[in-house]
Amino acid sequence: MTSLLALTPTELRLLTRDWTVLVFAFVFPPLVMLILAGVFGTHATVGFFWQNPQNYYVAASAGVPIIALALVGLPVTLASYRERGVLRRLEAFGVTPAQTIAAQAIVTAGLVLIGVVAVLAAAIPTYGIPHVVHPAQVLLGLGAGTLTLILIGVAIGLAAPSARAAQAIGLIAFFPLYLLGGGGPPKGAMTGVMRTISGALPSPIPGIVDPWLGLPGLAGQLAVFGAWSAAAIGAICWLVRRTPA
Amino acid sequence: MMNTAIEVHDLHKNYGPQPVLRGVSFAVGVGEIFGIAGRNGAGKTTTVEILQGLRSRDHGQVRVLGFDPGRDRRRLRPLLGAQLQTSALPERLRVGEALRLFARLAGGRVDWRQLARAWGLEPLVGKQFGGLSGGQRQRLFLALAMIHRPRLVFLDELTQGLDPLARRETWRLVEQARDHGTTVVLVTHDMEEAERLCDRVAVMHEGELVTCGRPVELATAMGTVRVRFSSPSAAGLEGLAQLPGVAEIGYDGASADIAVDPESVVHVATELARRDLAPPDFTVIRPSLEEAVMALLNGDQR
Repeated sequence: MTSLLALTPTELRLLTRDWTVLVFAFVFPPLVMLILAGVFGTHATVGFFWQNPQNYYVAASAGVPIIALALVGLPVTLASYRERGVLRRLEAFGVTPAQTIAAQAIVTAGLVLIGVVAVLAAAIPTYGIPHVVHPAQVLLGLGAGTLTLILIGVAIGLAAPSARAAQAIGLIAFFPLYLLGGGGPPKGAMTGVMRTISGALPSPIPGIVDPWLGLPGLAGQLAVFGAWSAAAIGAICWLVRRTPA
Repeated sequence: MMNTAIEVHDLHKNYGPQPVLRGVSFAVGVGEIFGIAGRNGAGKTTTVEILQGLRSRDHGQVRVLGFDPGRDRRRLRPLLGAQLQTSALPERLRVGEALRLFARLAGGRVDWRQLARAWGLEPLVGKQFGGLSGGQRQRLFLALAMIHRPRLVFLDELTQGLDPLARRETWRLVEQARDHGTTVVLVTHDMEEAERLCDRVAVMHEGELVTCGRPVELATAMGTVRVRFSSPSAAGLEGLAQLPGVAEIGYDGASADIAVDPESVVHVATELARRDLAPPDFTVIRPSLEEAVMALLNGDQR
């Protein structure tokens, strides 16, 4: 516990010095939200499940920092720690790799909340914050989505042979989860095949949008989160045994 | 009162089917600077990782400060410091933050600012790790390894890639660590470093410990030393080859170069004095540790 308490503030400072991650997590989501909500306006169509597009993109963009931080920020840091022997140095000092990873996960989760607040802060003076139909379910979707993507991010960080590779894998994973998750075109506008693929992806966006706007679908998305989390945990256990520190 | 810091007996380790350590045995006394030398892949790093409990062993007995590192790692850890080969810090971590973090990990009993002063890191506390020179990094690593005043510290390839000045500065810091009462295990393939710093050196080769002793003993064990002195002619050297212990005599037209057993140097000197030859540049050159180890590893002494 002492190790975790000592390590977490340091990890927070380090991650906030990485401008790529900060831009991706805190600038990109509000910017895209402002653009897309502005482009599609307020006219409800079948593609948006008869919802106000501005409302849709404000809610959807709240999920983007999760994908950015968990799939682009966390894996790169973790892979660089493995690549540079930082995990080993800390382990020699009694900090287990699990504790280091836990500290990074805590920091990522904390920054996710700041990223969500940044999106909402950008929405307040422009499009306003849409009414939250099921607040508790939104929190559940946000939490489950964050946890799932952090687990996937850890698996990528442990599997990637280098920090560069982790960044490449993270970016490759980012775009399908963002675009097919409903961050770009809404699910209602997708073809049947793409909608099926979208439904199998662990994107946190539908887990937030659906309960926020009162659409059905959270239960299905939670099942998807559960399946991906189980797979990620299995991969993490296998990778930790295969590549200690 | 324990005066042995490390005892290793018949240590074996395989990576898959590949044997990495094959029956290694040695002991390190308290307060020693003990060197582990050998070529890349000799098993040096694996040995020290097992000693720290970072790796399991397949067979053999290991006691470090009275503990079995495989079983008692938690109790052993506060007593150990380590500078591991190819391990770094995050590029954006500042020196002061690194000292503060590791001081907290050490239990918060250490004043990191005092430590920064003691290791000459005070001017660097605001600098990021990525901006440090090789020598500054090693100074930081040493400070981190020593942050909790360990009883035993492992330093793996500490001066690799450093310029001569930084290397000598690092050597001074290692001696400073020993002077603070810490036993030092120094893993190196730099024989000059081993000769300069270590009280004893173990030489490993292909997973085996091939010899262990004081650097001067290892160098002398090579068998011969060289005696050099100026000589106006080869005639003055006649008969020296018959002296006991003289192995070879060379003459380049100005100087004699005699290979001789260390204990027979005195016979050569006595004979020159008997002939009223007293060359002012009479010099005895013993082989360096590097020459001795190279000869050993190349099979000359095996």
